[in-house]
This record gives sequence, C-alpha cells and structure tokens, in this order.
Amino acid sequence: MHPAEDFFSLFSLPRSFAVDKPALTANFRALQAASHPDKVAAGDEAAKLAAVQRSSLLNDAFATLKSPLARAGYLLRLAGIDVEAVSQSDLDPAVLFEQMQLRESVAEAPAGEDGLAPLAALKQEIGARIEVREAAFVAALEAEEFSATKRVFHELQFLYKLFQEIEASEEQRLGY
Amino acid sequence: MALLQIQEPGGKPARQMHRLAVGIDLGTTNSLVSARCGLKVESLPDAQGEHLLPSVVHYATDGEIVVGTAAKARALIDAPNTIVSAKRMLGKSLSELRAIGHYLPYEFDSTRADTAPAVMTRAGSKDPVAVSADILSALKARAEDALKGQLEGAVITVPAYFNDAQRQQTKDAAEAAGLKVLRLLNEPTAAAVAYGLDSADQGNIVVFDLGGGTFDVSILSLTRGVFEVLATGGDTNLGGDDFDRLLAAWLAKQPGADKHSEGELLQLANSLKHQLSTDATVEFALGSNPHSLSREQFATLAKELLSRAMLLCRRSLRDAKLGLDEIDNVVLVGGSTRMPAVREAVAELFGREPLTSIDPDRVVAVGAGIQADVLIGNKSDSDFLLLDVTPLSLGIETMGELVEKIIPRNTTIPVSRAQEFTTFKDGQTAMALHVMQGEREAVADCRSLARFTLRGIPPMVAGAAKIRVTFQVDADGILSVSAEETLTGAKAEIQVKPSYGLEAATIEDMLQSSQANARADMELRSLQEAKVDAVQLIDAIAAAVGVDAHLLEEGEGQRIDEAVAALAEALESGTSAQLVQLTETLNRISGDFAARRMDAHIGRALQGESIDRVESE
Repeated sequence: MHPAEDFFSLFSLPRSFAVDKPALTANFRALQAASHPDKVAAGDEAAKLAAVQRSSLLNDAFATLKSPLARAGYLLRLAGIDVEAVSQSDLDPAVLFEQMQLRESVAEAPAGEDGLAPLAALKQEIGARIEVREAAFVAALEAEEFSATKRVFHELQFLYKLFQEIEASEEQRLGY
Repeated sequence: MALLQIQEPGGKPARQMHRLAVGIDLGTTNSLVSARCGLKVESLPDAQGEHLLPSVVHYATDGEIVVGTAAKARALIDAPNTIVSAKRMLGKSLSELRAIGHYLPYEFDSTRADTAPAVMTRAGSKDPVAVSADILSALKARAEDALKGQLEGAVITVPAYFNDAQRQQTKDAAEAAGLKVLRLLNEPTAAAVAYGLDSADQGNIVVFDLGGGTFDVSILSLTRGVFEVLATGGDTNLGGDDFDRLLAAWLAKQPGADKHSEGELLQLANSLKHQLSTDATVEFALGSNPHSLSREQFATLAKELLSRAMLLCRRSLRDAKLGLDEIDNVVLVGGSTRMPAVREAVAELFGREPLTSIDPDRVVAVGAGIQADVLIGNKSDSDFLLLDVTPLSLGIETMGELVEKIIPRNTTIPVSRAQEFTTFKDGQTAMALHVMQGEREAVADCRSLARFTLRGIPPMVAGAAKIRVTFQVDADGILSVSAEETLTGAKAEIQVKPSYGLEAATIEDMLQSSQANARADMELRSLQEAKVDAVQLIDAIAAAVGVDAHLLEEGEGQRIDEAVAALAEALESGTSAQLVQLTETLNRISGDFAARRMDAHIGRALQGESIDRVESE
C-alpha cells in the first residue's frame, strides 16, 4: 500500500497509536455514506462492484483502527516489521513468568458464579497492565526502537488474548 | 469514482417523478407489502381492507394460483395442492425437512435431488422458491393496483439468522416474481428503521422481536441517519407458542381439566393469553369448575421463558460491548410482544418503556418500505445508511479437519478478508477448498457451504506455495470465495450458492455449543495438530528412504520402520500426548539418517551438482 493511502490518512487522522475515536467513527460513517453499495442499489453491476470493494476496504480499515491491538499491529506493519514471526526467545523470562502467574490466577478462580468477582478483579489488573504496555509501545515506536516495539506488541497480544479468555469464562459462568 | 460523479453532475438530479418501490415482509405465516403513500410509509391493504396476506398458496383444478386467505381455507380440504410455510423450506434439503419433523402433507418430487426438494402439485413440481415467488407476485399485484404503476424495486426482509442459501433463494424467488431486489434487509433492522426515521434520534437501540416460534434480539447504533448493527442474537426455539404450552400445562393441573382434551387446553391457553393482553384478569371454566387467572399469575408462570429472553438480551449487549444504561430505545416486534408480561420484563431490564406506537406485526414491513424508498432514490443520499453484520463466522477447512475463521461473526458487511495458506505435500499441484460456516473449531461441527478446487499450482516443496484465499460478503450477506496462487496467479473462485442451507435452529445450536465446547475444541485442536505433524513426518521419512535407502545403516531401516508403525497406529486411536511423544521418538531414531542425507547432498552440491537438482529430489 502506498504510504499516502494508509488507513490513518483514509480517515484523515495522524498516524499514531492514540486515535481520536469520535473523529474516527464520524469520518468512517461519512465515507461509508458516500461509498456504500446501497447508494447504487438501483445502479448497474459495475458500479455495485466498485461500491462493494470500496465499502469493504472502509469496514476493514475501521475495524483495524478501532481495536487497539489491531491498530498496534498495523503500525508495526507500516513500519515494515513482520508481526507474525514470534519466538519465545523474543520474550523476556520475567514476562514469561508474569504470563504464567496470570494464567494460574485465571485457572484458580472458583467454578460457577463465585468465580465472577475474582475474574472481574483480574480483568482490572490486566487492564492496568495493558495500559502500561501501550504507553511503552508508543514510546518505543516513537523512538524507532523496533525490536522493543515488537516485543511489547507480543506482550500486548498475550494480555489481550488472556482478557478474551477471561471474558469467555465469565460468559460460560453467566450461562450465555 | 469518476463513474459515480457522472451519475450526478453538480449535485442532485432534478426532482423526477416519484419512483415506485415497496418493502416486503415475506413471513412464515403472513406476508405484508408497504410503500410510501404521501408522507408516510404504510402497509398496503387488499380490496377487502386486509393488510396481512397469509403465506399460503393453493394450486386449483382450473389452473388458477390462489394466494392468501382463500388458499388458507383450502389447506385442510386439499392439503397436497396447498403449500403453507414455504419459508421454512427455503434453503433446505428434503432429508433436513423430514428431520425437523414439521407436518408435511405433500408428495415430494422423486426426480429431484435431495438437496433441491419440490412438492408435486397438480400444477406441476413446485419448489419453495416457486411458491415464495407466487406469494411475492400476489403482493406485487396488490402494490401495483394500490400505487397505480409499475414497481421499480423492492426491499425484502429476511430473519437475521438466514444463511447464504436462504438469502440467495429469497432473491431467486423475487426475481422469478419479476421484482428487482434493491436489498435484502434483516427483519430486526427493518423494525429499527421503521422507528428511526420518524424520530431524529441518536443512540443505541435494542430490537426485541418475539414471534410465534422464534426470538431475535439485535443491538443497533444510530448516528445522524447511519444505522450500525452492533450485534445480533436470539433463540429459534422461543416464541409465543411456548407461552401457550406453558399455560396449557398449568391448566392441565387445575380442577376440571380432565374434562378437556390436550388440544382444547392449548386453544384455551392461547385465548386466555390474548385476553390478558387487554384485561387484567380473565374468568373461565374447566368442566363445571370456575377459574380465574390474573396477569400477575401468568407473568409468574412465564418467568422462566422471560428470563431466558432477558439472558439473551444481556448476551447480545455484551457482544455489542454496551451496558444496560447505554441503551436509549427498545423497539418491540412480533405479535407476542403484545403480552403485558413481556413488555414489563423488557421495561424492567432496560429501565425504560419500549416503543410500541407501530403495530408490532407491521413494523418490519414499514421499515422495509422506508428503506426501499431510500434505495430507489426518492430521498437524498446523505439521509440514511444501514451497516449490517454477519450473523455467523465464515472460514475454511485446514489440515486436520479444523476450521480457520476468516470472517468472525458480527463483522460489518460488506467485507473482504484474505488469508494465506500453503501446500501440505511436496509437489502438490491442486488444493481443495472447503468453505465453512459456524463458531466451532472442528469441521464436523460447522456447516459446509461449498467446495471447490484450485488447480495449476506449480510443483514445489511443501509449504513453499502461497495460496491467498479471499472471502467477500456483499451488503445482502451473500458470500463469494476466491483462491489464488500468488506466485503464478493460478485462480479459482466460487459464489457460494449451495443448493440447501442451515436449519435456523441448527445455527442457534452451533452458536451455543461453540461456547460450551470451547474446552473440548482446544483438546481436539491439539490432537489434530499432533496428527498433522505425525503424518508429515511419516511422509517425509518414506520419501527420504525411497531416495536414499543406501544411506541407511544396518538395522536402522528396521528401527525406523518400527517407530513409523507405532506412530501410524497411534494416529488411529492415540491421544495428542502419545502422538507428540511417538513423533519425537521417530524424529530421534531417524535423526542420524537425516544428518547423513544432509551431508551427502551438501557433498554432491559441492561437487558441482546444482542446488536445484538436489532440492528437486
């Protein structure tokens, strides 16, 4: 993708981890309003196809920038860093230990609805750790310390994944 | 972009004649058609003033096709030539229809494939698309009479859980009826549209749709004319009929009930339920015993059903990442929401009175009519936009009979997502692609939508080819899939138009069991991954022994064979742990042989043989 056509510029936003969410949403909706296939519902197939492609791109771009993790990964890709390739050796032993401890805490939550309160507390704890890592990510990215940026990104990936697992566990306990 | 500008040079075209477009609620029991009449969009009545058209088609002896109330009257007299509930048959195979167990008083056409069932009538073989087309034709004729002109397009509503096959067949039926489909619209979304434009609201909306047999809940957000569906959920086995059954079961325990048949009690239950929608208490008799029932008693009886519905609301809110206090409006759809107990439960959960000013039976058709008016171009562009989501995840089968999700559920459509896959065996020149729908990890637990094959992959070592698989879902929720080998550009694609689809209840089961089975899925995944590793190693060793048997030391071949046999046996019945262990053992036993091969090849390369030739072995 041409640098001038990245997802940030698509929504007239600066290329940074911190995004102005109301502006992102407003710009997304305005652009969708202009390009959605519904706007050419009575038109010919070529116009419809072009609209589907444009509208899909906007949906994809919006979903990427809306999610902090996807946004971080996208920033790394824009910086030319391969986010897929990760090995355990990229991670600090202290981080691996932290991950193990967090996993144990999740596994130790009592079964049924009794586990909801400890899980909520864990979510808060993980939320706080995510905030710290996101700040570290921004700092490393700005300093162009790419290996550090990538390492923090993988730590974030783990924390978000654990967060999702806790939510799934909560949903199971709630009978959803 | 240039094309779009040519369409509207310098802004809006001069106000032309009002173009005629309708909204159609093609229902299981009843259907409706609506259109703009003056300032408001309203459902259109027939000559007798009836708005609801029973979704029943009768093929008469004189060749006439009778649709609606007159056809319904023939359902009992001439059942084999009178088709009811064609919507339930859309997108299903004959064996699925029989498995669901609906009463089917029809003779099915034995010359048709199982996947394309059709009913033998005196007017010939009729599939659900043809029957739906007859209903749509009747609605089209009604609208053209009322509006005094030809229709230029229609918006047709479908349940949010309709899959690709069901959506595609709905479109096919419309085409057969001579209607241009501007858009298929999800029913709950249509209901929100019906309220959304009347008031210039901004905020989050819950659409609570409780019909006769199904429950749908959708969470939408509305900002300056843009509707965004955040999440959909529901239960295809929860509806007004369940309240009847519950009340009938209670009646059966009351004194005097033994004087009545089960059917009579069910009928009484239904009529009591209706009366309680207007009266606070009803009096009735069982045998010679007088009884009374209050709304409160009924609400207590219905508590479990109501809490199930409320639980599903909470779950959808969670999917939408919204709290109860962030909901600004609740829209009620479906006749069953007339029950005060339902309204109260909804009001209590969301802490606000639901919107009820539009008839819950007509609100979907009205919303479709509004959308049709917008899409045909009678309203200016910036007014209104609808962004819908996929109800179920879409993915592709990967090695080990696992499903790799490519588009997760609740993704905004249209959407295009690509993922890269690679070859599994050396020299593989074709790849079979299996398109799946569902939330579970195992192929067996998801729904097969389509299969196709990508050919012409140049022979390479396993893992070297890059196959890009792209999923595209359009604004109607219909999927097409393409695959391309990126090095050579070999291409294959398919529009997913399977001959039959998912039973709606199956979809719900798939959603529910995906959560319940997350753990089992993880175990299965590790087992399948271990199997893939094992098979790859066995294949690699077989290939290596075939080429370089002379490099084996005495007894080594036999040891390798034994380890291969043990691993092959574990493939049949072993656990993932056993497989991992035996794969490691085989790796270790064959390690020296592999090292000798490597040395020999390097040696040859150094002697001047080309690397290509070494690799091609």
